[in-house]
Amino acid sequence: MTSQYKRYALTRAAQAIAVVLLAYVLTFLVISVLPGDSITNSLRDPQHGLSEEEIQRIVAFYGLDKPVLVQLALSLGRFLTGELGFSLQSNLPVAQLIGDALPSTLGLAASALVIAVVLAVAIAYGAHYLPGKWAAVLRSIPALFLSVPNFVIGLVLIELFAFRLHSFTTTDPNSAAATLFAAITLAIPVSAPLAEVLIASLDHESRQDYALVARSRGLNEASLFVRHLVKPSALPTVTMVALIVGELLGGAVITETTFGRDGLGTVVQKAVTGEDQPVLQAAVALSAIVFVAVNLIADLVSPLVDPRVKVRTEVHA
Amino acid sequence: MTSEISLAPVPRAVPATRRSSSGVPPTVLLSFLAVLVVVLWSLLPGLFTSYSPVVGDTAAKLDAPSAAHWFGTDYLGRDLYARVVYGTASSVSSALVAVLIGLVVGGAIGLASGFRGGWVDTVLGRFVDVLLAIPGFLLAVVIVSSLGFQTINAAIATGVTAVAVFARLMRAEVVRVRSAAFVEASYLEGGSRLHVLLRHILPNAYRSVLVLAVLQFGTSILVIASLAFLGYGDPPPASDWGLLVASGKTYPTAPWLVYAPALVIVITVLSVNRISRWLRKVK
Repeated sequence: MTSQYKRYALTRAAQAIAVVLLAYVLTFLVISVLPGDSITNSLRDPQHGLSEEEIQRIVAFYGLDKPVLVQLALSLGRFLTGELGFSLQSNLPVAQLIGDALPSTLGLAASALVIAVVLAVAIAYGAHYLPGKWAAVLRSIPALFLSVPNFVIGLVLIELFAFRLHSFTTTDPNSAAATLFAAITLAIPVSAPLAEVLIASLDHESRQDYALVARSRGLNEASLFVRHLVKPSALPTVTMVALIVGELLGGAVITETTFGRDGLGTVVQKAVTGEDQPVLQAAVALSAIVFVAVNLIADLVSPLVDPRVKVRTEVHA
Repeated sequence: MTSEISLAPVPRAVPATRRSSSGVPPTVLLSFLAVLVVVLWSLLPGLFTSYSPVVGDTAAKLDAPSAAHWFGTDYLGRDLYARVVYGTASSVSSALVAVLIGLVVGGAIGLASGFRGGWVDTVLGRFVDVLLAIPGFLLAVVIVSSLGFQTINAAIATGVTAVAVFARLMRAEVVRVRSAAFVEASYLEGGSRLHVLLRHILPNAYRSVLVLAVLQFGTSILVIASLAFLGYGDPPPASDWGLLVASGKTYPTAPWLVYAPALVIVITVLSVNRISRWLRKVK
C-alpha cells in the first residue's frame, strides 16, 4: 500500500504540474491569439498615458514584436521563475498587485467555505430527520439555491440588511459585518451541490446494515448521525472540493463587484476592462494553481480518509 | 424511558415525495408552462406588451409596479416589463448558443475520446483536464475579454466552459456502451464503426446527454446573466436580464428594478432545472 500510494501521489503531483503549465499556455493563447485589441494597440491608447520610450520598453519586455510562440516561450519562462511582469494600467509589479488583493479574497473565500459547509450540513440533517413536510421543503432548497444568480443574492442581502435594517454599510465593504454578508452571498450557491451530495449520501448510508445494527444497539439518531453517518459521507464531500473551489474563485469576481470590495476578483475585473493582459494572465494562472492544488490534495487525502478508495496510478479522464 | 431496547423509527424521508408514479408531477407542468411563456416572450414580444422597450415616458419615471406598469418603470420612464420581455430573446438564445457549443464540441471530443481510445483518448483527456483547471467563470471572463464585450461573445465563452462537462459525460457513456455485448455482436455481424456509432452508441447516450443539456441551459442563463451584470454583454439600450439587474442596482429607492428581472431569471432557471431533474428520473 505505502509504496503504491507513493507512486500514486507522485504521478498525481506530476500530472497536476503539467495541467497548471498547460492551463497557463491555454490562457496565454486565449488572451493573445483571439481577435480583439492586442497589447500594442491598447498601449497606444492615450488613457494609459505612456510615453513612446515606455511603450518600447514594454514591447521589448514582452517580446511583442516577435511571433506569438516566442512571446509564449518568454512568458512561460518568466512564469516559471516567478517573474510576473508589470501592470499596463498602473505600472506596478503584477506580483504586488495580486499579493495585495489576495488576503481579502482568501478571507472571503474561507469564510464562505465555512458558512457553506455549515449550511449544507444543516440542510442535509434537517432534510433527513425532520418530519415529512419540512424535510420536503429542505430537500427543494438546494434546487432553489442553484437557480439564483450570485449577484441577485448579494443585491437582496444589501437591500435588506444594509438599506433596511442597517446591519452594515455599503460604504465600508471591508467591515466585519459587510464581509459576513459577502461571504453568505458567495456561500449560498456553493452550499447547494454540497447539501445535495450530503443528503444522497445520508439516505444511502442510513439504509445500510451497520446503521440498523447501531440503531438496534439503542443508539439514538443524533449520535448515529455523528458517529456513523458523517464519516462515510465525508468522502463524497472531499471529492466535491474541486467544484467548490472553482465556484468560490469564480464567484469572488461577482461578489466583490456587487459589494464593492477589493480583492482578486476586482483585480480581474479591472484587468478585463482595462485590457491589462499581464495582470489577467497572472490572476488566472494563480486561480488555476489554487484550483489544481486543492484538487491534488483532495485526491491524495481521499484514500487516507476512506480505505475503500482504490489507489489507481493509470491515467483516467 | 423504561424500555431497554428502543428501536428508533426509520427516517421517513423518501415516501413523502413519492406521489403519482404515473403522469407528470404538477411542479413539472408549471415549469413547462414557465418555459413556454419565456419562449413566447422571445419569439413574439410584441404580443405580450404594448409598451416600447426603448422609448419611455419621462414624466412617469421610477414608478412602482402598478396595473399599468406591472414591473414599474425605470429612470427614463420605460416600462420594465416591456424591457424584460424584449430582453428575453437575447438572454435565452445566447444560452441556447452556449449549450449548442458545449454539446457539439464537447460531444465530439467525448465521442472521439471514448470511441478511439488509445493516444486520442489520452490527448483529449488532458485537454479536458486543462479546461477544467481554470475555474469556469474566470475562463468565460478571459474569453469574453479577448473576443470583445458582446452578448454573442459571452454566449461563446459560456459555451467553451461547458465543453469539458459534455466531453466527460459523452466519453463515459461511450465507454459504457462500447463494451456491451450487443456492440460486439454488431461488429461481428460486420457492422462498420460508423454503423455502431449511429445505431448503438448515440441512441444509448442520448438520454443522459439530453438531461445534461437541459441542466446546462439553466446554468448558461445564470453565467450569461452574470457576464451581462459585469457589463461584458451588449451595452444598453439592450435589455438582457443580467444587464437590467445591473442598471437597476443604481437606484436603491426603486428596488423593483432589481427584483423584477431577478425574479424572472430565478423562475426561468428553477423551471429548467426542475425539468432536467424530471427527465433524469423518468427512464
